[in-house]
Amino acid sequence: MVHETLSATNAVVTLDVGLPGIVWPWLVTINMWAKSIGTGVIFMLFFLLRKYPHDARDLRFPTTVVSIVFIHIFLLFTLADLHQPFRMWHIFFYPHWTSAITVGAWMATLFVGLLFLLAFFSFIKKDNAAFDRLLMWVTILAIPVTLYTAGLMSQCTARELWQMPTESAQMMLAALLAGSATMILLGGKQLSFEAKSTLGVVLGLSALFAFILYMAELIFGPMKAEEVGAVLAYIKGDGEYATLFWVGQWVAYLLPMLFVMLSRVGKSESILKLAALLALAGLWVVKHVWLMIPQLLPMS
Amino acid sequence: MGTFPETKRTFTPLRCNHCQNAPCERICPVSALHYIENGIVNIDKERCIGCAGCVMACPYGAIYIDPETNTADKCTYCAHRIASAMMPSCVVACPVEANIFGDLDDPTSNISKYIQSYQGGVQVRKPEKGTNPHHFYVGGGNVTLNPLASHRAEGHSLFNKLTSKMPIGGHH
Repeated sequence: MVHETLSATNAVVTLDVGLPGIVWPWLVTINMWAKSIGTGVIFMLFFLLRKYPHDARDLRFPTTVVSIVFIHIFLLFTLADLHQPFRMWHIFFYPHWTSAITVGAWMATLFVGLLFLLAFFSFIKKDNAAFDRLLMWVTILAIPVTLYTAGLMSQCTARELWQMPTESAQMMLAALLAGSATMILLGGKQLSFEAKSTLGVVLGLSALFAFILYMAELIFGPMKAEEVGAVLAYIKGDGEYATLFWVGQWVAYLLPMLFVMLSRVGKSESILKLAALLALAGLWVVKHVWLMIPQLLPMS
Repeated sequence: MGTFPETKRTFTPLRCNHCQNAPCERICPVSALHYIENGIVNIDKERCIGCAGCVMACPYGAIYIDPETNTADKCTYCAHRIASAMMPSCVVACPVEANIFGDLDDPTSNISKYIQSYQGGVQVRKPEKGTNPHHFYVGGGNVTLNPLASHRAEGHSLFNKLTSKMPIGGHH
């Protein structure tokens, strides 16, 4: 009782409501962008090894390395965004399984472990059969690893704009877009123009569907929820993020779609690579805008 | 509130609602935000990793990152005082007893009696979020309880222009 009485006199001042400001900054944008590449290249490698096994036979190790690099960028920036990064281990020792952050951290850790196993099979053991068997499981795991951030955003009850059905679709489309773009650039001389052109189709269709989803949100979102309307006002008219939103839509989706079509008509690999580069750069902008705008809305 | 010159000032505590279905508790990856037996949503600052998921999840903007500890913080209804059978500081400090605290499960408690006497006039904030808040308002207006009901130029609150990392009231 004495202890509790002493404790009761140790009150510190707390605020009624949070101060204004961006809570999840550009570090989280890089997190999402890098993860899209890290899982996306795995999806594309799985696809290429089935559709173009001869072309893709030497891409096993390079693709695994690219995935490892980008997944580590994702993990590094996740860590950097924590206000107490040295307590990251709490997630593994005090896990709270209702949180998408916890589930995601465990899945991403397993994913990294399996990526290193893939690297072992392709670089040390040089066992393509074992690689391909494991790749199937890694590809399956890459799906929830891609999706968990959508779950996390949807658990943000305060941010009405982020709904699970749309965000999960956007996360998958981002992974397909980033994965196909990266593989177009990574393919070099090993991938035939036909294979790259097929990747271009994946890129173009991902861009198209993602663009449709964003436009659907922009036009119809405000008809459903007052908060969504208030958030989307930041990307309409002279809204704070209006210019950046449209820069993102053009660079990530509209121009790559156009260039993919032009590359098919003109059989130009250079134009396809330009589409890939634009898609990768634009994806960061698109993700950033969508991350920022709900945070501008006062909650209290 | 209002349009110049017909304006007036109001004060409304917009603290943590100690929701029965708390989004902050659900999203916290390490259970730093947790329920205690009396229903208070408490925070363990030693366990918090500062991911700010709770800040993003709270529909009431009631959680923030304390610049001193780099961990999440919020009103805990003075859980440390409740543990010693004391009232929360805001209840004690308020000169007009605008804050009423007590056991909702006890029909004889002051808070239960108060809510019963104001039936029909009791509100919670953002009931559509399904959080089941444990913080009730009597006579709270839409302008003060609904952040979308009024235009707030350049930010959220009275404390917009704070630049110091010192906590409000500077206890150092």
